[in-house]
Amino acid sequence: MNVGVAHSEVNPNTRVMNSRGMWLTYALGVGLLHIVLLSIPFFSVPVAWTLTNVIHNLGMFIFLHAVKGTPFETPDQGKARLLTHWEQLDYGVQFTSSRKFFTISPIILYFLASFYTKYDPTHFIFNTTSLLTVLIPKLPQLHGVRIFGINKY
Amino acid sequence: LQEKEELIEEWQPEPLVPPVSKDHPALNYNIVSGPPTHKIIVNGKECINFASFNFLGLLDNEKVKSAAQASLKKYGVGTCGPRGFYGTFDVHLELEDRLAKFMRTEEAIIYSYGFATIASAIPAYSKRGDIVFVDEAACFAIQKGLQASRSNIKLFKHNDMTDLERLLKEQETEDQKNPRKARVTRRFIVVEGLYMNTGDICPLPELIKLKYKYKVRIFLEESLSFGVLGEHGRGITEHFGISIDDIDLISANMENSLASIGGFCCGRSFIIDHQRLSGQGYCFSASLPPLLAAAAIEALNIMEDNPDIFHTLRAKCERIHRALQGISGLSVVGESFSPALHLRLEDSYGSRENDVTLLKKIVDYCINRGIALTQARYLDKEEKCLPPPSIRVVVTVEQTEEELDRAASLIKEAAQSVLN
Repeated sequence: MNVGVAHSEVNPNTRVMNSRGMWLTYALGVGLLHIVLLSIPFFSVPVAWTLTNVIHNLGMFIFLHAVKGTPFETPDQGKARLLTHWEQLDYGVQFTSSRKFFTISPIILYFLASFYTKYDPTHFIFNTTSLLTVLIPKLPQLHGVRIFGINKY
Repeated sequence: LQEKEELIEEWQPEPLVPPVSKDHPALNYNIVSGPPTHKIIVNGKECINFASFNFLGLLDNEKVKSAAQASLKKYGVGTCGPRGFYGTFDVHLELEDRLAKFMRTEEAIIYSYGFATIASAIPAYSKRGDIVFVDEAACFAIQKGLQASRSNIKLFKHNDMTDLERLLKEQETEDQKNPRKARVTRRFIVVEGLYMNTGDICPLPELIKLKYKYKVRIFLEESLSFGVLGEHGRGITEHFGISIDDIDLISANMENSLASIGGFCCGRSFIIDHQRLSGQGYCFSASLPPLLAAAAIEALNIMEDNPDIFHTLRAKCERIHRALQGISGLSVVGESFSPALHLRLEDSYGSRENDVTLLKKIVDYCINRGIALTQARYLDKEEKCLPPPSIRVVVTVEQTEEELDRAASLIKEAAQSVLN
């Protein structure tokens, strides 16, 4: 389904990331965030890159792995009420193209950030931890897993 | 390959209609000609109608019929659309307004099919993971609504408040073990005002106490009690003198007292407004034909202008309840002021089919002598708690006292001749 068209999708959250133009919008959004951060005169280039990486990963974690359910009512009586958006993507089918895209994009951002921060140790720690927070929930083994019962209900 | 050919040749399809005996009830049915009014023509014989739920006799009322005919001339027959897509007429809005004012709630919503009313209202609020406490004698429409809602259903024994309290306490202890889960589960109690399967009323004051003690929402289904109980016919809340704000949702059928088709739900605006987008029967079915909405409005007018018919109806119910006591072999099930009571066999005669056949003989005896009765019909395999077979006697305001006495004596005669 493409966003904004009439569709008979039971849970639109599952297909929204496959819609036309979604990946491009996401990439442009990250680019815009980076340009805004670069425009602030107080941040040097390495700081701007690390901040882009960290803010992008924080946003991704909140929207894909923390918030559960759907912002709209679904006709399936709330089947996805306890699932995060990542778990709802493509009805739980793993290794689809959207999932691969959103797994690889933080990794690319991490490479770019590491390069532009000249592999400085402090920046390395920040970038790596934030990459891990966003890569580990994407593993298929962690589908539906809630560690220590956090965010279960 | 050869085995495949053999298998194909051997295969016998199952018959479309399974072989049944000649006495199967689906093959021997009574034919009604004409409208099911006070005098009904069954199998060519004219009988007094003790079978249709026409409690206030508004089915044949001249004012209601002329209002419907005027509406037919103005709007035509159907609305050709659901409420959200060019199917809302001013009569619908007027009927909703009038019902809300009559029941003294903030808002009301109309459905075009009585069965679909409660079957759409329950799944609009209760989803997977929610808990619903239901009476065992709930009608089939409620059972289908619960099945569609996919919630956890907990049945409690009919009208047994101690059983319900036990279930609520168990749920409370589980909630204390897992408070985070408890914070996101919604809990509901679904009861009927006047039960169709047993003719009793629910103990509403105790239910309200339980509601505030255990924080559960109450859905009240008033199909039989709307237009029957209470000083002005407002249902079981008026009967018990309870404020209508204590009940979260009242759902009723307009097919009984109001002699129209369809149903309505009423309650606070906040609650009813949700059904305008989530009530499946509201959004995805064509709206009520305007002539039936006009008929319902006229019926409401009559109900508001003559509040003494409710008292008359209850007096007639008491009369026949007294007259039917003491029949050997049949026991009367239902409250004394319930207009729909059941006559069950005192002891079962072996299997359910035997009981059904015997009751059928009693019903045929009565039809042949001018009183139209019916057995309470159920989908045997689909009901959760199948009630025992019974004859359902319905009292309407149009039956005279002489007819009531004649019916009672005829049933006595029939029971004596068939069961002895």
